[in-house]
Amino acid sequence: MKSFKWLVLLIASVLVLSACSGGDSASNKSKDGKIQISFINGFTGGDGAYMKKITDGFNASQDKYEIVESQEKEHYTKYKSGDYDLAVIHGNNLETYRLDGMIQDVGSLYEKAGLKESDFHNAGMDLAKLDGKLYGFPIDIHPLTMFYNKEFVNEAPKTYEDILKLNQELQAKNKDLYALGVPSTGLVEFYMLMIAAQNGVDLKDGNALNFAQPEFADALMTFHDMVWKDKVSPAGLGLDGEFKTFMKEAESGKAVQSAVALTGPWFYGAAKEKYGDNLGIAPIPQIGKQPAAYGNAHMLAVSASVKDEQVKEGIAEFVKYMFTPENLINWADGGQAPVHLKTIEKVTAEKDKYQIAYQNSLQFDSFVAPPQVYQYGEQIRDMNEKVFSKLVTTGNLTKEQLMKELESATKKAQQVAETQPK
Amino acid sequence: MHKGTSTKTWAFLMVSPFILCFILFWLAPMLLGVWVSLHNWNLSSGNNGFIGLQNYVDILTPGSLYNEAFMLALKNTLVFVVISVPPLVIIALGLALILDHLPAKLKPVFRTIYFVSYSISVTAVSAIFLWLFNENGGFINNLLVSMGILGKPINWLSEQPYAWVSVLIATVWWTIGFNMMLFINALDEVDPSLYEAADLDGANGFKKFIYITLPQIKHVAFFIIIMTVIASFNLYGQSRLITAGGPEQSTTTLTMSIQNTVFSMNQLGVGSSMAILMGIIMLLVTAAQYFMSYRKKEVN
Repeated sequence: MKSFKWLVLLIASVLVLSACSGGDSASNKSKDGKIQISFINGFTGGDGAYMKKITDGFNASQDKYEIVESQEKEHYTKYKSGDYDLAVIHGNNLETYRLDGMIQDVGSLYEKAGLKESDFHNAGMDLAKLDGKLYGFPIDIHPLTMFYNKEFVNEAPKTYEDILKLNQELQAKNKDLYALGVPSTGLVEFYMLMIAAQNGVDLKDGNALNFAQPEFADALMTFHDMVWKDKVSPAGLGLDGEFKTFMKEAESGKAVQSAVALTGPWFYGAAKEKYGDNLGIAPIPQIGKQPAAYGNAHMLAVSASVKDEQVKEGIAEFVKYMFTPENLINWADGGQAPVHLKTIEKVTAEKDKYQIAYQNSLQFDSFVAPPQVYQYGEQIRDMNEKVFSKLVTTGNLTKEQLMKELESATKKAQQVAETQPK
Repeated sequence: MHKGTSTKTWAFLMVSPFILCFILFWLAPMLLGVWVSLHNWNLSSGNNGFIGLQNYVDILTPGSLYNEAFMLALKNTLVFVVISVPPLVIIALGLALILDHLPAKLKPVFRTIYFVSYSISVTAVSAIFLWLFNENGGFINNLLVSMGILGKPINWLSEQPYAWVSVLIATVWWTIGFNMMLFINALDEVDPSLYEAADLDGANGFKKFIYITLPQIKHVAFFIIIMTVIASFNLYGQSRLITAGGPEQSTTTLTMSIQNTVFSMNQLGVGSSMAILMGIIMLLVTAAQYFMSYRKKEVN
């Protein structure tokens, strides 16, 4: 009898715990009767305020729907374990979320919102379309961006030769001044995919990433040579070293500084605050054989659990509101580059005001999207955390040694790909 | 107070909040974890069926994705346990002994100073040490280069063994106060008459420490060692925020690997199995420590 009591207590405890999670997909209503749409994104940095302007603007314009926005650092985890209607998914994660059944085809919502594929730049639309169906509304593309310090360089370098020349000039002035900084970790995925794109290397092989390509090894060795042969970058720069070196000041040999940073546009605020009018922004230079830009993107995706037609109507209303130049321009104001064509027109018309959005929009035509494979982030993890670091920190690294690392990383990528739902 | 049944009822009422919390926050999650570890449980698609010990087999099969991740993380974690436990115990004891010999008025001041770092969040601690150990223009490098101790800066965060040194220093600074307080309490419990007798016998400070202090605080010391081993096994925040698991995944710990398996790879079943295995390994290490200590006592 006693053990039965304990069993009841245990089951009750488990029930209490399970009651804390989960939910249904029925629409929620606010106190004033508006249909609530839960929206989660990871905009916890400076850009969050600009997205909030859009959602606040929508809510103020509505008497039927309300966007309840959550900006969370671990927004993917919360999205997976929570009950959200709308989420911002990165372009390189869209395929994973589709295959995991976490998002739904939004083709019908495009129609409801009065949007067409032709309203967006192809670069964004290519990312949103999987197997011929639309799985997201492309908000922006954030490609690798070039910042330069006008104190050291008048005109942005356009080629690798320009970078070499700049480096010679800077080194002649001060041995602690370099053309740019190559990080060992952080934004290295952008570096690797950029050099692959600029050398015409396609990493996608079926449903996995294949890094073990001699052409890719040759391309990657560019970064090794930047540090150890051409010495356009100081050695031993750690996490986000490309930006940290750009922001440091070379003072009496205690720190090194670079004139150029190939980095993420999200660093714009900090760089602008420090350099003001001395900050230059430009598309990335051509380091490989052909011009190409690489970056990631933000997509607005709808949860697979959304079945309620009223919620879908509300989402369509929000999307309709968001993708208008006067509202989406807030996103450009935050430093992001929207792919909505009419908003690009507005950005171009006021290119001095939306400097970074404009410069990045110039990269859209040569943009190469992330390969759409299942668990992209996991497939490239070894490259991000191990191989690139070895590449730029090992002075005597050979192409053969690099190929072995690439083979090992490819094997892991294939194993990750095998976890794809059947 | 009534006796008999009433006392039992009161006793049950008093202890029931603890039992309920124990069940809710320890027993039930642990049993749920074991249950999940026996299933093909994906964070996105949910429970895809009972698979017995397959998750454990996958983790323990050499060459598999999960095996490589688990073994690398286990090796890294054991490295940290080995390098962190001695300083965390010895320095804490040293600080406690110094404080024990301070004038009574100064004791609370220094006790607070050394303990206050323990109250800071790991995020703030990591931010401080990132600034201190930054390779390019960081405070430590600037200081050492300026003083002529270093010819060129050290890559504290992106080169081994410096990355471990950075995480270790941050951990010692952050957590040393806790062990120190436990040692201070233990030292306060030592009977002063023992020291007086030793003084009469002409024992010096070292002998008093070896023959009086250490035997008197050995049970607390043993408890501190076990707790420190467990805490070091759970290294997460510092290595995640200071070194991001690098360079080349050499500071990626078991907890980081489990978190990645569950939340990035969606493999809740495999991640739970990793957590259970980690628990078993910790249990074995702790049991070995206990056994060795017990055997020593028997021999003595």
